[in-house]
Amino acid sequence: MRPLRAPLAFLVLISALLAGSAPLLAKEKDPAQEITSQLICPCSCGEVVSGCICETGMSMKAAVENGIKAGKSKQEIIGALVSQYGEVIRGAPKPEGFNLIVWIAPFAATLLGFAIAWLVLRRMVRRRSELATAAAGAGSPAARGTMPFPAVRGLEEDLDALRARAEKELRQMKQGREA
Amino acid sequence: MSELGRLSLLLGFACSLFAVGSIAWGLRTGLSGPLRGGRRAVWAVCGLTVLAVILLERALLARDMSYRYVAEHTSKDLPLHYAFTSLWAGQEGSLLLWLLILSAYGSAFLFAYRKRLDPFYDAVAMVIAAVMVFFTGLLSFVSSPFRILATPPPDGMGLNPLLQDPGMMIHPPILYTGYVGFVVPFAFAMAVLLLNRSGTRWIEEVRRWTLFCWGFLGVGILLGARWAYIELGWGGYWGWDPVENASLMPWLVGTGFLHSVMIEQRRGMLKTWNITLIALTFLLSMFGTFLTRSGVLTSVHSFAESNIGPWFLGFILIAATAATALILYRKALLESENRMDAIVSREGSFLFNNVLFVALTFATFLGTTFPVLSEAVTGTKISVSAPFFNRVNVPIALTLLLLTGAGPVLSWKRVTASVLKRNFVLPAFLGVIAVLVALPFGATGVYPLVCIFGAAFVITTIVMGFARGIQARKSAETGALPGQVVSLVQKNKRRYGGYIVHAGMVVIFLGVLGSSVFQKEAHGPLRNGESLKLGPYALTLRGVTDHQRQNASLTTAIVDVQRDGKFVATEHPSKAFYSKSQQPMTEVALHTTPMEDLYLILGGVNEDGSASIQAYINPLVSFVWVGGLIMVFGTLIALSDRMRLRREEKPVP
Repeated sequence: MRPLRAPLAFLVLISALLAGSAPLLAKEKDPAQEITSQLICPCSCGEVVSGCICETGMSMKAAVENGIKAGKSKQEIIGALVSQYGEVIRGAPKPEGFNLIVWIAPFAATLLGFAIAWLVLRRMVRRRSELATAAAGAGSPAARGTMPFPAVRGLEEDLDALRARAEKELRQMKQGREA
Repeated sequence: MSELGRLSLLLGFACSLFAVGSIAWGLRTGLSGPLRGGRRAVWAVCGLTVLAVILLERALLARDMSYRYVAEHTSKDLPLHYAFTSLWAGQEGSLLLWLLILSAYGSAFLFAYRKRLDPFYDAVAMVIAAVMVFFTGLLSFVSSPFRILATPPPDGMGLNPLLQDPGMMIHPPILYTGYVGFVVPFAFAMAVLLLNRSGTRWIEEVRRWTLFCWGFLGVGILLGARWAYIELGWGGYWGWDPVENASLMPWLVGTGFLHSVMIEQRRGMLKTWNITLIALTFLLSMFGTFLTRSGVLTSVHSFAESNIGPWFLGFILIAATAATALILYRKALLESENRMDAIVSREGSFLFNNVLFVALTFATFLGTTFPVLSEAVTGTKISVSAPFFNRVNVPIALTLLLLTGAGPVLSWKRVTASVLKRNFVLPAFLGVIAVLVALPFGATGVYPLVCIFGAAFVITTIVMGFARGIQARKSAETGALPGQVVSLVQKNKRRYGGYIVHAGMVVIFLGVLGSSVFQKEAHGPLRNGESLKLGPYALTLRGVTDHQRQNASLTTAIVDVQRDGKFVATEHPSKAFYSKSQQPMTEVALHTTPMEDLYLILGGVNEDGSASIQAYINPLVSFVWVGGLIMVFGTLIALSDRMRLRREEKPVP
C-alpha cells in the first residue's frame, strides 16, 4: 500500500468541500424566501426574516416580494433594505475589510489544525521507527507489526507499553548516573 | 426567612473557602484531619444550598412579593407548576440552580469515592470546592436571590410567556446537569497536575463522568431545540442563537475528548491534548453561562441580562490561566509513553476527528463573539447568524460525518491495504447507490449529496461492525439474530454503545438535511373559506375564535388541512396574549407524520377579518428527535459498562 494515498485523497475531498462553499447549499426555494432567509429582523426579536412574524419582519418580507415583482435583482433588494436598516440585517457579514476574518479564520484554522496533526503524527511515526531500528540493532527478534493472529495483537500492545516503560527507566537511570 | 436564605448562602461561601484551605493544608502536611474536615465542608455546602433552594421555592410558591426575585418572575395568576420552575427563570435563581447542581456533584463525587483513602480524591474535591467559592460568593455578594423589596407590589411582573412551556420545566435542569457536570472531569485533571500523578486509572474514571454529563448536555440541547421549535414559532429548531451556540461548544469539545481519551487509555498518548480538552470543555461551559447571563450579546435569552458579566469573565480568565500554567509546569508528566506506527490508523483518525471538533468549536466561538469584536473595531453593528453558520459550520460538520464512517473501520496502530479494501469498498459502494437513489427525489447540490453519501457510508460500516462481531462469535453461540446482537453488545458495551450513538447522529444529520434543505414555505392572508396551497397540502380557513385560558387570552384560527385532496385534520394555530406581558405569543399548530411536519403559525388577524397564516412543510424533522433518542440509548449502553466494573471492584476488601 502506498501509505500517502488515502490521507491525500481525504485532504483533496475536504478541500473540494470547503471550496464548494456557499451557493451549492441553496435549493429550489422561492426567490423571496431565498433572500429573506439571508436577512435578520432588526427589531428585538433578532430572527431570520423568512421565519419572522413580527411587524418589522412582515414589512421586510413585503418589501422583498415587491422588489421581485418590480424585477429588481437580489443585490438591489438587499442593498435597499441595508440602506434602510443598516448592515445589522445581513445574516452574515459582507466578506470585506475586517469582517473577512470571520470568513477565513475557521477554514484556515481547520487546515492549520490538519497540518499540525499531520506533522505531529509523522514525527511520532518517525520516532517510533527509529526506536524500532535501535531495538532491532540491539538484537531484538521482534518483527514489528507483522504478528499474524488477532489474539496476539493485544499482547503486542502490552509489549509496547512494557518496552516504552523500560526505555523510560533506562533513560532515567542514565540521567541519574550522570547527575 | 430571607435572612435565613442569605445566611445559608453566606455560610456556604465560608464552608467552600474552608474546604479549599483545609484540604490544601491536609495535602501539604499529609494530616488526615484537615482532609476529613474539608470533605465535610463540601457536604455542608450541599446541605446549605438545598436549604437556600427550599427557602426560595417556598417564597415562589407562596408568591411572597416582598422578595424581589418573586415579584420579578411570578404573578398571582401564574399556574403553580410554573411558579415552581420560575426558580430558573431569572439570573439569581439560575445561579442558585447552578450551585445546587454543583454541590450535588461535589457530594455525589465524595459519596462515590468515600472508600478511597487516596488523597488524590481530596485534591479533586478541593478543585470542586474552589468553583463553589465562586458561585456561593456570587450569590452572596453580587447577585442575591434573597433581596427584599421595601414596599412589596400588589402583584408580580409575571413569568416570561416564552418560559411558560412544559419544555422549559425540564430543559434548564437537564442542560445544567450537563454543563455543571464538566466541573468533575476538570477537577480530576487539575488534581492530576497538582499532585503530579501519572497512570491511566483516573482517565477511565474521568471518561465515565464526562460521558454522563455529555449525555445530559446533549439531551438538554435537544430539548432546547424542541422548545424553540414549538414555542418560538419561526419554523425551525436551531437558529445558531448565541445561547444555543454556547451550549453546543462544550458538547463539541467534550465529544472530541470522549474520542481521544480512548487513545490515551489504549496507547498512553496525547496526554497533554486530553487535559487541554477537559479544561477547554469546562471553560466553555462557564463561558456558556457567561453568555447567557451577562447580556453581552442580544438573543432570545436577553431576559437574563445583568451585571455579573465581569465576575464571570474574571473567573474564566483565572481558571484558564491556572489550567494553562499547571499544564506547562507538569509537561514532563504528560509525556507520551508510546509512539505512533502509522498515520492512517485509528489513532490518526481520532486526531483528525479532534481537529475537526475543535475547528467546529472555534468557528462557532468566533461567529458568536464576532459581532462584538467587529463593532469595537469598525464601529458598525453587524450580525453573524444562521446564514453564516450554515456556510461555515456545515462543510466542517460534513467532513466530520465522513470521518465518522472512516474512523471505526481503521484498525489500531496501522492499516493494511487488505483491511482498507475489505472495510471501505462496500460502504463506499452503498454510499454511491444512496446518492443515485436520492437524485430523482430532487436532492441536488454538493452538501446534500455528501450528506447522503456519508450517512449511507456510516450506517453500512456500523452494520458491518455488528455483523463481524456476530460472525466472530458464531462458533461459540447460536440463536436468533436479536439475541445474538444483544449478547454482542453486552460483550463490549463501550464499543457498540458508541456505534449506536454514531447511528443516532447519522439519523440527526438526515433530519437536519431534510428540514433545512427541503423546507417549503407559504404564507398569506386568508378569509373564511379561502385556501392556501403548500406542496401537496391545501389549508382552508374555517373561522377565527377567541377564548380565555388561566392567565392568557387566545385568538385561534381554525384551519382544515387537506393532503392530495383528502381531509387529514383540523388544526388550531393561535396567538396568546398573556395578561402580564404586552407581547403576543405564537402557539404553533403541528401536524406531525413520520416523514414530515406541517407547521402552522397564526401571524395575526387583520382589520378586514382575514387571518395571516404562515405555513411550513418541514420534512424529516422527526428524525432529529428520534436520532436524539437513539443517541441517548447508545450513551446509556456505554455508561452501563461502568456498573459492571463497579460490581467487580466491590468484593476487594
